[in-house]
Amino acid sequence: MTDDAVRDLMMSPGDVLAGLPDHVPSELACEFDIWAEISAAGIGAHQRAAQFHQQLPPIFYVPRLGYLPGAWVPQKAEDLRRILQDTDTFSSQNTMPFAQMLGEHWRLIPLEMDPPEHTKYRALINTLLSPKKVAAIDDSISQHASNLINALVANKRCNFNQAFADQFPTLIFLRLMGWPESEAPRFVKWTHTLVKSQDMQEVVGAVVQIKSYLQQKIEQSRINPVDDFTGYLLASEIDGRPLTDDELLGFCFLVFIGGLDTVASSLGFHFMHLALHPEQQADLRANPDKIPLAVEELLRAYSIVNMRRIVTRDVEVGGVRMKAGDVVLISTELGNLDPDAFARPAEVDFEREDITKPHMAFSYGPHRCVGSHLARRELRIALQLWLEKVPMFRLADDCQPIMRASGVFGMDNLVFEWE
Amino acid sequence: MKIVINRTACAGHARCHALAAEMFVLDDDGYIATDSFSVPPGSEQLARRAARACPERALEVLEADSGHERENNG
Repeated sequence: MTDDAVRDLMMSPGDVLAGLPDHVPSELACEFDIWAEISAAGIGAHQRAAQFHQQLPPIFYVPRLGYLPGAWVPQKAEDLRRILQDTDTFSSQNTMPFAQMLGEHWRLIPLEMDPPEHTKYRALINTLLSPKKVAAIDDSISQHASNLINALVANKRCNFNQAFADQFPTLIFLRLMGWPESEAPRFVKWTHTLVKSQDMQEVVGAVVQIKSYLQQKIEQSRINPVDDFTGYLLASEIDGRPLTDDELLGFCFLVFIGGLDTVASSLGFHFMHLALHPEQQADLRANPDKIPLAVEELLRAYSIVNMRRIVTRDVEVGGVRMKAGDVVLISTELGNLDPDAFARPAEVDFEREDITKPHMAFSYGPHRCVGSHLARRELRIALQLWLEKVPMFRLADDCQPIMRASGVFGMDNLVFEWE
Repeated sequence: MKIVINRTACAGHARCHALAAEMFVLDDDGYIATDSFSVPPGSEQLARRAARACPERALEVLEADSGHERENNG
């Protein structure tokens, strides 16, 4: 989407008030499109989001979010924790738009389920992505990162998104799924469209193609059983029965969404920060043992994931009355930029006193990102190997990064240079 | 000192384990494997730090010598 189109999405205050549900007080309505506002801030996107804490009420209402309908937006980490831990009142069912776009009823599993149903399905993939399982593939993660870096380092310049950030998690994902590496280019294209596009028709097109690809993989695995992810799901049981076709699709679609774009987007922000802050880049080069906690600080300051919950009963949160059926946006970036949770929240500080304090980049509650252990390892290894192999890098003078705020925030067109 | 764990609140972040792997043992799914344990002498500070790192606040620190004095890690 062009910047002009983003600006067109912004509404005048009159439009906003006309579109408000009756129970939403007008003083809690946000008069601008928050994602357009954050996108327009470019490389200062998260600094702009941090200002919302001074500018807007602790819980405010947006009449729409991109192509999604209006929602409450709690900004406080404490309110978000309470909401995410109370799955009876804040349901995850029907919170992702993809199946509905096709007029279908499959769900992303286990994302669009609530406990106790959620618990059984979640257990199936916890085992595959536990810290122990992920530690066992460290060498493979390092090998993929090394190969990509070795291929670009002599050029003294690269488009970081295309040459590294998009490729690296996709190659790890394909390996975990047991699918050929040659699929990487179309996976990158699909996943970009799916989570970054604000054009509903484009998104529908991607959903149709991904669904058809995944169904084909499941069918192949059914005919020729193999020891990969789909093979594992086909051999799994819930309540003593095999998974249904919709459940198989829901699981595969979820790992597709979760496994590809999130790490790619995080890499973009983390490396952009180091390109813009040479003193911090030099610090990590001189003290690589600081990298694991530096990754936590970068995950906190540059959170990217937005989810939704549906209110199941009338409830009061932080003095705001929400009604059954209301939508609540879970913005991990706003929660992690809450000044009540972190001192100087917009500042990245690898020495901060509260650096081991929990942040919500991977969410709270039973829906904690199931890939968090893999994501942390990928981010840490990427940073370690880059700083080892590539000299001090900076943003190229002719580079115009493009910020896209949507369900998963991303910074595109990052061109780096080094001597 | 003792660590008491609310296992239903554990969401498998494994931040305790990342800071103190020997004390905070995980099961095969990556969730905390015990309901409570005694902290080895000399490891109290590490145990407190690991308990505070829990995003779900599922880890409670019971200070030694006095079973009544409780430090909630919130």
